[in-house]
Amino acid sequence: MISGSTKQWRAQRHRIACWTATAVAACGGPSADGSDNPDPAGSSPSVALLTSGPVSDAGWHAGAYEGLQRIGDSLGWRISHQQTRTPAEFDEAFISYAEAGYGLVFGHGFEYQDAAERAAAQYPDATFVVSSGSRAAANLVPLIFRLEEAAYLAGMAAGGVSRAGVVGMVGGVEIPPAKGTFLAFGAGVAAVNPEATVLETFTGSWDDVAAAKEAASAQLRRGADVLIHNVDAASFGVFQAVREAREQRGRAWAFGMNRDQNAVAPEVVVGSAVIDIPALFLQAAVAWHEGSLRGAPRAGLASGAVDFVPNPALADVVPADVEARIAQARRDIASGALEVPRIRYLEEDTLPAASPVQPPPN
Amino acid sequence: MAQMGLRIARALQPVAQPVLALAATLAVAAALLALGGHSPADAFGALVQGAFGSWNRFLSFTLVQATPLLLTGLAVAVAFRAGAWNIGAEGQLLAGALAGVALAISWPEASALVLLAATFAAAAAGGAAWALVPIAMKTRMGVGEVITTLLMNFVALFLAQFLVQGPLRESRGVFNMTDEIPAAAQLAPLFPGTRLHAGFLVGLLLAGGLWLYMSRTPGGFRVRVAGASPRAAVASGRFDPARVVRWSFLASGAIAGLAGWIQVAGVTGRMYEGLSPGWGYTAIAVALLARLHPGAIVISAVVFGALGAGGGAMQRDAGVPEAWVRGTEALLILALLAVDRGFRAASKGDS
Repeated sequence: MISGSTKQWRAQRHRIACWTATAVAACGGPSADGSDNPDPAGSSPSVALLTSGPVSDAGWHAGAYEGLQRIGDSLGWRISHQQTRTPAEFDEAFISYAEAGYGLVFGHGFEYQDAAERAAAQYPDATFVVSSGSRAAANLVPLIFRLEEAAYLAGMAAGGVSRAGVVGMVGGVEIPPAKGTFLAFGAGVAAVNPEATVLETFTGSWDDVAAAKEAASAQLRRGADVLIHNVDAASFGVFQAVREAREQRGRAWAFGMNRDQNAVAPEVVVGSAVIDIPALFLQAAVAWHEGSLRGAPRAGLASGAVDFVPNPALADVVPADVEARIAQARRDIASGALEVPRIRYLEEDTLPAASPVQPPPN
Repeated sequence: MAQMGLRIARALQPVAQPVLALAATLAVAAALLALGGHSPADAFGALVQGAFGSWNRFLSFTLVQATPLLLTGLAVAVAFRAGAWNIGAEGQLLAGALAGVALAISWPEASALVLLAATFAAAAAGGAAWALVPIAMKTRMGVGEVITTLLMNFVALFLAQFLVQGPLRESRGVFNMTDEIPAAAQLAPLFPGTRLHAGFLVGLLLAGGLWLYMSRTPGGFRVRVAGASPRAAVASGRFDPARVVRWSFLASGAIAGLAGWIQVAGVTGRMYEGLSPGWGYTAIAVALLARLHPGAIVISAVVFGALGAGGGAMQRDAGVPEAWVRGTEALLILALLAVDRGFRAASKGDS
């Protein structure tokens, strides 16, 4: 059962890779030797990225930057990045990139929504993509991440792992995407163990390791034996608190979030709710080049770029029956049979459903 | 003959020193860039192009970035002139922005003119109110304003966080920002097709007004005396310097408050948690570089604005990462200070 799940995960990862590769080939991108020009008319397309934090954060911004680099490396396109500090610089950067002939500009975060909308109206020839954006237009594309679908599966695993029946969640800044993952995680826990208590703390910081550790320790003292985090760079503090609790009490586990953190603390991290931002950026770039980047792409379990990844080193921690239920839930969520509770922070009803983030043809 | 040579050397000295300082700093900045694997020529080219490459860039990027620095720079100068070390422009800016936004979004039915006047008044009052606590503690209890204004910055920061996460959060109740302010409250572009808003004009008018006030009126003279020598002011028996300091401090807070609201009304249209990247602190450098002279602050703010706009272009067009850009900027500012110091020393030597 367990190895089956791991194998499935491996297959899934393989699928992401193949899918990306075929998508690139299909769009007429450069061949492996890079000699082909993706744009036969002349110069290759240009893609730019704006982040409002450093790309060295090993998390949200780093994922976007990696995606940009992947676009540059595998498609041979011209790439550029700017870290913006103020909303005044948002407009400045969008305008500059559009005027310099960049055809596709990513604004990585909801904060870029207003400025991207202004730029999209002013520069109809360029396409603006806003991560977690909330409004769409012909050349304005919100990219919606459904990390909560993976968080739900992690919650099911946590519900199966916990013996105390108390599960804790340590978050950074209390924003809807973070709250959404916890809402789904809690629902996942309840799906497996309806009696379980779920604790929730927000530290107010994405990178305050000490605060994250303190919050985690407090939850562990309140009886939690399984913790999940959504604190980006401060996750180390949560894992450390779990390690220390285990030394004292003998039993404590953690779950990773955003990136595959199974190797960060392989002895305590049972699995991670993962979002593959680089793969999504590459897909979006390819879809844009094909002319199919429209509407509001949603990247959930069905896209393969969001998933719950169990730690192979701790494969026997999650009970086999729970493993099976997770596998079933994964299929149900992907097919739409099971809807994960989430915070409807995007004006989804008004957003067109068109999506380039399609499941790959098998 | 020898005397002649000495005289020439002495005449050149005031020019040579700043030129050398500038050249040395540029060389250090270039070396740092090269060390990071970036072409200094490309980087400096992008810097200049980004800030001054076209009229539109100069107006829409450089002057837009200069506006909050111009206003906070003036705010700092007004306080410093009177000898009040107001380090709290950052907090006063946030308080002003919050007051303006709160009024604007709760009063959408007001006409444009009324809303314009009311929001400006609210922002000035908000900034001044934030200066009240340090003023009271300074005059009543003798607590140094450097520490109190600095601490009030943190209070403002957390208050802004609390408000945009709670009572002032957008009506969808989702992201940590306020609703968009009504169109009537937004500042129009000065020139169609550019982003430069009327806030820059407000800054220019304020600079001109302060210049005249400081140099031509008895009130301005009292401020300068109170700042230069409070004991002489007391000894003169003609006015109470403490009173002058209080009013200057209050005016300083009001101007900083305006800076915050103008940024919202002219650029962002909403209040965010991270509205200011620290303008209230940079303003101290802006004001000191201009030696607290209102006219010179305009130039100083534009220089800082150009560095900001050019820094963005360095990232975009030369691929220099943010950290290197900020480091280079800091070096250039140091060079400017060295140049300024050189000229000042030279001019003192002459007299």
